[in-house]
Amino acid sequence: MTLTIFPWMIALPLGASPLVYLAGRLGWHRVELNGRSWLVRGLALLALALTWIPFALSWGQFAAQGERLFFNFETIGLQADGLSLLLAAVTLGLGTVVVLFSGPYMAGEVGEEKYYAMLLAMIGLIIGLGCANDLFNFWMWFEAMAVSSYLLVAFYREQSASLEAGIKYLVQSAVGSVFVLLGVALVLGATGTLAMDKIRLATNGFTSTHSGLALAGAFFVIGFGVKVALVPLHTWLPDAHSQAPSGISAMLSGVVIEAGLIAMLRALSTLGMLSVSWGTLLLGFGALNMLFGNLMALKQVHLKRMLAYSSLSHIGYILLGIGVALTSGQLAGAQGAAFHVFTHMIMKGLAFLTVGAFMFALLYQKGSHRSLVIEDLAGAAHKYPLAALALSIALLALGGLPPLAGFMSKWQIFVAGFQSGDGWVMGLVIFAALNSVLSLGYYAPVVNMLYRQKMGDVVQQGEAIPMTMNIPLAVLALAIVAIGLWPSIMSWLTEPAGQAILFIFGK
Amino acid sequence: MAAILIGFVIGIPWLGALILWRTNDENPRLQHTLAVAFSIAAGFSSLALIFFSSAQTAVDIPMGAFFGSLTFTPDGLAVSLTAIACVIGSLAVVFSVDYMKGEAQLSRYYTFVLLFIGAMAGLVLSGSLLFMFFFWEITALCSYALISFYNDDPKAVAGGIKALIITQVGGVGLLAGALITYSTLGTYQVSDLLESAGTIPANVLAFIAFGFLIAAAAKSAQFPFHTWLPDAMEAPTPISALIHAATMVNAGVYLLARFYPAFVQVPGWALSVTIVGLVSALITAFMALTATDLKRALAYSTVSQLGYMVYAIGVGGFFASQFHLLSHAVFKALLFLAAGAVIHAAGTRDMRRMGALGKQMPFVRNVFVLGALALAGLPILSGFWSKELILEVGLADGPIWAYVGMLLGAGMTAFYTLRITWLVFFGEARESLHVHDAGFAMKVSLGLLAAGTLSTWLLAGSFSGLFHATLPFHSIHELSTLELTEEIFFAPATYIALTVVCLGLGIFWMVRKQAAARKEAQFDILSRESFGFDWLNRQVTSITFKFASVLQETQTGKLNWNVVGILGALLVVLVFLLWSA
Amino acid sequence: MNFDPLNAVLIGVVLLLAVGFYGLLITRNLIKIVLVLQVLVKAVVIALVLAGKDSGNLGLGQSIAATVIVADTVVAVVALALAVQVRIRIGTLDLSKISSLRG
Repeated sequence: MTLTIFPWMIALPLGASPLVYLAGRLGWHRVELNGRSWLVRGLALLALALTWIPFALSWGQFAAQGERLFFNFETIGLQADGLSLLLAAVTLGLGTVVVLFSGPYMAGEVGEEKYYAMLLAMIGLIIGLGCANDLFNFWMWFEAMAVSSYLLVAFYREQSASLEAGIKYLVQSAVGSVFVLLGVALVLGATGTLAMDKIRLATNGFTSTHSGLALAGAFFVIGFGVKVALVPLHTWLPDAHSQAPSGISAMLSGVVIEAGLIAMLRALSTLGMLSVSWGTLLLGFGALNMLFGNLMALKQVHLKRMLAYSSLSHIGYILLGIGVALTSGQLAGAQGAAFHVFTHMIMKGLAFLTVGAFMFALLYQKGSHRSLVIEDLAGAAHKYPLAALALSIALLALGGLPPLAGFMSKWQIFVAGFQSGDGWVMGLVIFAALNSVLSLGYYAPVVNMLYRQKMGDVVQQGEAIPMTMNIPLAVLALAIVAIGLWPSIMSWLTEPAGQAILFIFGK
Repeated sequence: MAAILIGFVIGIPWLGALILWRTNDENPRLQHTLAVAFSIAAGFSSLALIFFSSAQTAVDIPMGAFFGSLTFTPDGLAVSLTAIACVIGSLAVVFSVDYMKGEAQLSRYYTFVLLFIGAMAGLVLSGSLLFMFFFWEITALCSYALISFYNDDPKAVAGGIKALIITQVGGVGLLAGALITYSTLGTYQVSDLLESAGTIPANVLAFIAFGFLIAAAAKSAQFPFHTWLPDAMEAPTPISALIHAATMVNAGVYLLARFYPAFVQVPGWALSVTIVGLVSALITAFMALTATDLKRALAYSTVSQLGYMVYAIGVGGFFASQFHLLSHAVFKALLFLAAGAVIHAAGTRDMRRMGALGKQMPFVRNVFVLGALALAGLPILSGFWSKELILEVGLADGPIWAYVGMLLGAGMTAFYTLRITWLVFFGEARESLHVHDAGFAMKVSLGLLAAGTLSTWLLAGSFSGLFHATLPFHSIHELSTLELTEEIFFAPATYIALTVVCLGLGIFWMVRKQAAARKEAQFDILSRESFGFDWLNRQVTSITFKFASVLQETQTGKLNWNVVGILGALLVVLVFLLWSA
Repeated sequence: MNFDPLNAVLIGVVLLLAVGFYGLLITRNLIKIVLVLQVLVKAVVIALVLAGKDSGNLGLGQSIAATVIVADTVVAVVALALAVQVRIRIGTLDLSKISSLRG
């Protein structure tokens, strides 16, 4: 090993964040091209584009080396394994698309530069979170990411609903973070160390269940569970995801809750001797999340709120895969969960961005900041064929219909459930499949609404969707179809991630 | 060559779908032309594929870990169903040229029709359970999209979502069966399942077998999932002919037929299949007796005839069921399309408002009568041979009570078929509807289907030869058409059945005055509610929604309550850990 | 039974946590919620030092505790800033009135 490159994935966006902010404050955003301020956004995009280089290089290094990459700076240690790279890929992928998309969407908003600065910081911090290998550093990354996301949720600070969502999100996350720290204290008390590998060594010595560590595990589940939105810790999610700017909704649903899940897994993995219990617990939460998310989404009229609830049910599928991996050591489960993290990022990202595009064209351009209801989209396909198709693809993929990506990742999770040979788990898989059917009960009517023959008033008066918004939508929609037709094109990413999950739990 | 043709039958319609999606609705001529061209090309490819049929896998593409291989096997069962899908599909498209003239959103219409034709071909050709399910779901999606085609009409939207949800719930059975197969055998290949079914533990095999039965029943609208098909009649009529009579609903029968050799050893499976077929055939025939909506009456009859096919598989008549599938696909497509011509001209689907339309549209009347006679099972039309074959197998190998039931069904079929024909084309005009005969494109497809109704039974011999040669697990005896006709002519079952059919026709002739009356019969309410199953569907839906409303109360929007949720969850986790320790 | 003075600290931590959670359940005022959160975090800070001491790694515990105080101040600042905005835009700090998002 010659040169450690992967910390640059973290450093580049983090470093670019204050620069972007400064550029904005210094008034450079008034530098205009074709009547649009482009510098702030251009800088942000450049930073993300550059970040792909260390990602590609570190992935190459990781693939060649076949094991984790390490980096130590003073007492701060970082590592990159399959899971870190999955999270980095998901974050960078969606982040790039969101920055592209946000150009017209955020143009002219007060504090546009703050938006990009915070977004970049959040991207860097999430990648950092995936690479931390010390429980406390881990909490630091987590907390910093959370702070950046509070500010982004409450970005429209002139709107009372955004503020309400932001403050609820903040308080509940802070409670969660208290639990995480309590867990950290318990682990520190029991083992005298916070480096994950060392904790693992120390806890391997415990033959029977250590009550302090079990309690720590419970605190981790609850603490990170708030971020992952396990039911009933989820109450902040529908508010925050529906009130944030659409690009941020996409990031929150597509990346941040999954980052919380990966954080939870890393923390729990240090308490490996109880992995079967954790697996069972996650299966239980998974079932609850699926049913609850779907039933809540069934009655929503606000599109973004519906999508937020659908995220709850998709977290359920991911938990199902991970639960199977932990209880029976199935690589299919771990890999399927990783695959679903990836496909959910694309599908939910696309869904939120398309809804954002519609909000932009139908409402914002008209000076309205109300939220979009399903009825507004009546007949939108006549005027916005591409966006309507993209939203349909995203929703049907979320509902698990082939030939779209969601079908394949769910299938892989289901395979794992049946391979485990456990009757209860198989029952749970059938329950999950029935839940997918239930979810069509709210996805399909939206698609129907889009293709109505009569155009609604809102659509008739809508403005055009700019090209810079349409391109990201088209790219994501194509990706969904491509993965649905050829699922193994993503296994280079999901297989190491799946193996990493099994590895950290010692399976 | 087989591989290329398989590529054609799936690829050509899908390519057409892609192109039509991009066409502009301002230019309907182009859309009609493109759709007809692509579907006819697919139809000819599918006919060519019959000559390259074999038991060997023609296409094999590995899809990576956990996804097995994408394989296509052009065996007799697959190529015949592909031909039905593509040929009747192209006839339905030709018919649409007249029927859909002047409709909006033709690009959406043709896209889904072509997508459906390709997916149906993929479903039957697929040699991998995963991809069978994959295409299975795409056909469901297309069916949904087309039922809800007139999506400004709430009835069409409701019918679409009902069909989607019910067939998807059933699809979970196929999903579970495919996953169990993969986890026990390590493969998704259909041929492996058929070959090693004996090595699978009996209880596991039973799960697969009954899972597939549930899936088949839902897809073929069999009891207890029969409620969706009548509501699916909100679709444009060519769609009802293509998807909801001739092809997609056959997928369930296909599934049972395909895996019959593997599941026949499962105790109770064959009997369950028989019962599902019997109950479906009888209750829907009963519902057809009083139906007043032309398309719904034909839909009930479709479920009833599919019941015959399912029954045939249950009693071991694999060939009889597939033969009836072929005949039924042709004559039911004919009936639906002819009904479409009537509805198109009359502007209503209510048979109580029709009557004596035959004089104004003689061509449509003639082909409809032909189809009706085939449906009733009168010699020498295709429906006669195949239905007699089913009843003969039922008498020989099946339980006698089931045979009596099916015989009764045959009588009811004759009764309602004559009733429909009478109400629409004969008797006296109850309202002065100004109708016109079918257009040119309509006549072309109706004429071809009528020719098929007269002649497909002549193919029975080569049909059985094809199955014999390419289905190694099904042990089909090769019979020539001549042998088959002799067998039917000398079987006593034939004469029993014919007597019952004539009885049914005679009874209708005596009560025809009352049948035309506008007042509803008392048991009509029972039929419209699908024997209480519609009530059951509504209850499930309303309970789900009520439950959702109750859950909505938990999202109070109050921060203090949200914190209660967090602490409550902590308590639950702690209790769980204590309990599991 | 001889009493370990560290147990007294532990009891203190538990008491602080109890006060904090009780406060979260009953407090309606947003500013007070922020204060209550601070109480919880202070309990955690003490717990971290205690854990360090308990495991013979006091330095680690203390340094973490100091870092937590810094990080948490940031959260408190953001929370208060949001509270100010809430007061300006919604016109109240009463949580029972800040509940337009439900269902």
